Amino acid sequence: MNTLDDDGVRELLSAVIDPEVGMNIVELGLVYGIDVSQERVHVLLTMTSAACPMTEMIVDDAYERLAAALPPETEIDIELVWEPPWTPERMSEAARIVFGWHPPR
Amino acid sequence: MSATRQRPGGAESAAPGAARAAPRAAVRRPAFERLPLLLLGFVALLAGIGGGLARLAWPMPQAVAQAAAWHGPLMVCGFFGVVISLERAVAVGRAWAYAAPLLAGVGTALALHGLGGWAPLLYLAAGIVLALATLSVLQHQRENFVVMLALAAALWPLGTALWIGGAALHEVLPWWLGFLVLTIAGERLELSRLMPPSPAALRLFALIVAALLAALAAAPFAAQPAARGFGFGLVLLSCWLARCDVARRTVLQRGLTRFIALCLLAGYVWLALGGAVMVLAGLRPGTPAYDAALHALLLGFVFSMVFGHAPIIFPAVLRVSLPYHPVFYAPLALLHASVALRLLGDALGAYGLTRWGALGSALALAAFIAVMAAAVLRSRRGRRGVAPRRSGPG
Repeated sequence: MNTLDDDGVRELLSAVIDPEVGMNIVELGLVYGIDVSQERVHVLLTMTSAACPMTEMIVDDAYERLAAALPPETEIDIELVWEPPWTPERMSEAARIVFGWHPPR
Repeated sequence: MSATRQRPGGAESAAPGAARAAPRAAVRRPAFERLPLLLLGFVALLAGIGGGLARLAWPMPQAVAQAAAWHGPLMVCGFFGVVISLERAVAVGRAWAYAAPLLAGVGTALALHGLGGWAPLLYLAAGIVLALATLSVLQHQRENFVVMLALAAALWPLGTALWIGGAALHEVLPWWLGFLVLTIAGERLELSRLMPPSPAALRLFALIVAALLAALAAAPFAAQPAARGFGFGLVLLSCWLARCDVARRTVLQRGLTRFIALCLLAGYVWLALGGAVMVLAGLRPGTPAYDAALHALLLGFVFSMVFGHAPIIFPAVLRVSLPYHPVFYAPLALLHASVALRLLGDALGAYGLTRWGALGSALALAAFIAVMAAAVLRSRRGRRGVAPRRSGPG
């Protein structure tokens, strides 16, 4: 029986940091979707770069964060997607402020 | 890629984008099957450093001293070639991409066993596989920086082909420099999207890259003017990076993120200096300026970048944990101090300073490897102590 909702999952994923830039994957806008059902948590995740070897590590980390919080019978499905392509506009307002820019209107 | 990581043995089979669910019970498992490839890179590093020191008349065992003539190829193709193509293979997640580090590693082994005639061919093949692996990223991501990375990757086999065709190493080196510098620049271009450069800045970046490539192409016709032009391109590139790199922002953070940013920002100083030396003196082998330019670029810039990224690339490649520790700064400081000493020696014609600078750099690399290994061991011991605790990234 699943005890988390979308926001709970999002909060867990907020602990997954891209160490290069010191920012979590939620603020970076890399989490495209979260779908929580009784027996399954499905996360759509993208990366800023498909040429970056850290992808595997970040997916591992996200998986471990969820696995630590969810009951063992819950299936965890982290799906890596490249469509639609990530753009800087997907970053949260807080992240934009950290990197010192404001989106073009 | 999520599916691949928990399925023992099939780790490299799935492409990114084809990722799917993982069996629930699985936990992260170190990818030690990639270790032999990495070790081939470290063999080249060790022999390359030893050969470099032997050139500067530091006493070395006979077996290592024999590698003196191979110093450049071992460092660029044997070490950077393996490391870059291995991390690219991990990124693209295709089995065939691992042929690149394997081929380059075999090339190193042949070079060190008196079969040097074959090594350039293997390095060439490795470079071609790396370029193809990088092109395959375009299937998922049609972005400028991927084109940039593919272009950079292509410079490795192009330079190596010239070498096989009979060009002298000093004529090949600018191509290899281009491979390394533009690979880093491409990765920084990608990250610069977090504080997006203006369209004008992006056009300027493209112009700088075009100028660097034009300088490479012009080298056979006017070697020294081309080398000076290449140096000027590097100076401009360092200015662009110093202005647009996200490291300017991330240096304000803490821990590993700040360490990485400082490695990069310090590296840009050497990129500018190495470029400036080339502008002033061209690239004439055997001169102090030649030693200064190449080592400012390769030790001061490229290795500084390697120091910054090893703490995230190691864990990414081997799937082990490598927690940050402030002691990482010690080998970094030694690296930069030793490069400064070396260039001072080159500038003053004080060969002794250059020799000691080189030894200092070798010690910095050794210390860095020791620090990285200690961090991995410390974390593994820590994990065994407290059973199923899950901690930070990496």
